Order: sequence, then structure tokens, then C-alpha cells
Amino acid sequence: MNVSVPLHEVDLPKSDPRVKLLAAKIKKEKYQPDALIEILHTAQNSYGYLPMNVLRYIARELKLPPSRVYSTVTFYHFFSLKSKGDHTCLVCTGTACYVKGAQQILAKIEEHFGLVPGQVSADGKLGIAAARCIGACGLAPAVVVDDEVQSMPQPEKIVSSIQEKLQAV
Amino acid sequence: MNTIKVTINNTSYDVPANASILEVCKQVGVEILTMCHLKGITDIGACRLCLVEVEGVNKLLPSCTTKVVPNMIIYTETEKLKRYQRITTELFFAERNHMCAVCVANGQCELQELGYKVGLDAIRYPHLFPQCEVDTSHPWYVIDHNRCIMCTRCVRVCNEVEGAHNWDVMGRGHQVRIISDFNTPWGESITCTSCGKCLHACPTGAIWPKAIVQGQLNKNPGMITELVEKRCMKL
Repeated sequence: MNVSVPLHEVDLPKSDPRVKLLAAKIKKEKYQPDALIEILHTAQNSYGYLPMNVLRYIARELKLPPSRVYSTVTFYHFFSLKSKGDHTCLVCTGTACYVKGAQQILAKIEEHFGLVPGQVSADGKLGIAAARCIGACGLAPAVVVDDEVQSMPQPEKIVSSIQEKLQAV
Repeated sequence: MNTIKVTINNTSYDVPANASILEVCKQVGVEILTMCHLKGITDIGACRLCLVEVEGVNKLLPSCTTKVVPNMIIYTETEKLKRYQRITTELFFAERNHMCAVCVANGQCELQELGYKVGLDAIRYPHLFPQCEVDTSHPWYVIDHNRCIMCTRCVRVCNEVEGAHNWDVMGRGHQVRIISDFNTPWGESITCTSCGKCLHACPTGAIWPKAIVQGQLNKNPGMITELVEKRCMKL
């Protein structure tokens, strides 16, 4: 895609339900530029990440300079410019989970899926991430598979847990 | 105009109320080192060079964003401040790749001048030597991130004076970078008007016009101040 397309020539497919959701959110916020973060949240939740054409669309709709939108996106760790995968598995590597064997879980994932934290599988189906502490130390070792917090005392079980999610959709 | 009494370095002065400490010090002839300050654009207190000590406040205050209040007792030349200014300057040099001898701004650089003022002879901190890009995509200008000190004067001048907002800051921590539009090459910017104010605002040799060789840069940051003042004049 040519990067220097004027903003008014950027259009998202109107039939896409994600675009409808985003457009509704922008309308609800009355096109206020200060609602940028809320709108980015909506976009990130429906797309899983923030594609460039969506950023262009938001910049145009809110009449914000493109650099302002991009700087906001890169400042907050929550926002991602790259796809995190259709399904995600977040392994907690905080102190409690580390002691209880987070490394073995990560090793199992790498052995079976060939992915290390920060990587997304070639087909974009599965993304692996690691976090310091998710605040669920009571469940240690904890993993989050598709927003579902699970306790994973037996590292082998992570594979079936992920596969279950991959096969669901 | 309302005037108030303040004490700067043990001398009492009558100064206008509602002014910043920096403005007041300039008016009475007390020199304060600055880097991110440029008269005419908003002060953000980012460079931490203009720090002053105020009696009754146990932290150092940036003079550009602190307003004077009646009976304020201000010190600008204490040993502590001198030590901090030296540290800040060293960190500026250690953060990116500043090579004065091969720089277009050699002799015209505010960072170089600052080094002389604080008596910089060596840098005690390990240099980070980050990988920085040089963007030559614009037909007339170049931005070299190696020489950028993240004062964001270009960002503010582009937003406030030109109104284009081509520049902004990406990322955080020591990985921050000045970006054009969506971190796209400057030459492909859809907002840049090629006015050239950012290269006059830049205190170092990070933004300069092409066809300029080492040490030949001729910058005029005062032009921006003048422009803002003339706009505000009642004709």
C-alpha cells in the first residue's frame, strides 16, 4: 500500500462488522479528538491489533494529525501494530509462576508449536506472549489462553488446552 | 502591570507577576541554561537544564514552567545545580551519536555551546551508540536522528506555529524517536508543508537543509520568536 495516500482517499469496507462497530463508537464519542484512546481501544478489541488503514481512518474521522495518532499508539503497551494471532496464549513468568514451572510450560509450547514469546505462527492463528505478573499468583503457574485464566500445574496440559481453542473456531 | 518582589541569588528585584522564573531571570540579566526552551512556543520543562532552587521547596524546579510568586527566594548558581547541569549535559552526549567534527551544525550548535558552558571535558557515562536512521527522503531537508536530543522543539513549532503537526514523538524511554506522520519517510508526508521552521527550531544538527556541508549551517531560531511576536501584535 502506498503510504502517502491522502487521508480522504482512505476507506474501509463498509460491510465489515468491525468497521461498523468502529464507526458507531466514533459517532457515539461525537467525533471528539480527545476520545482517541477510547476509540483505539474499540478498534484494538475488534481487530486484535491496529492495522495501518484503521489508524488512517481514525485520524481522518477525528481530524487528528497522523503523527499524533501514531505517537499515542506507540506510547501505550496495550496497543499493538502487529497481529498478536487469532488465538493467544500468555504465560505468566512472575516470581510465583516462575518457581512453579513457567519455564517448563514455555518449553512445552516451543517444543510443540515452535514458538517463543513474542512470536506468531506463520498462519497467524496462534500468538505466544509472556508477562511478568498477571496478579493471579494463587493459581501459579498461571496462563491466559484467549482471555481465560487457567492454572497449569502440569506443563503437558498446555498443548491440549491451546489445541482446544484452535479447533473451536 | 502588577509587579512583585522576588530574590534571585541574594539580590532583590521588582518583577512582573504571572511570568515564569526563566523570563524573570532573563529580564534582570541572570543567565540560565536552556535547551528545550524557545521563546514563542510552549514550554514543557523537558531538558531539565533550567532547574533552579527555591527556598522552602525541597526539590529542584524547572524555571521555564514555574511561575514567580511574591517573595520567592530563588538560587540559580548553587554547586548542586552546577553538578546537575553537568550530569544532564553528559547524558545528552551519551544518549545518541554526537560527532561534532563531522556535523553540519559544528559551531552553530546549542548542544556544543552548552558543553563549553558547563566545561565538559569528558563524559563519565557509557555511550549508548544506538542505531539511528538518517531520513533523506524530503526533497530539501534531512533529519538525522543520531543528532537529535528529543527537545521536541520541532514538534512544537510544527504544531503551534505552522499548524501542520507533521512531527510527533513515537515510543517511550530511550527508544523515543521523532516521527513524521505514521512513522513514514518525511518525503512522503501528507501534512508537511516544507516550511522549514523545524530546522530553524532544532538546537543541534538533527534537521538541516540539503546542499549544506560540514559546519556551514546557518540557523536562526530567533526567527520563530519574531514570527510569533509579530502575529500577536495589534496592528
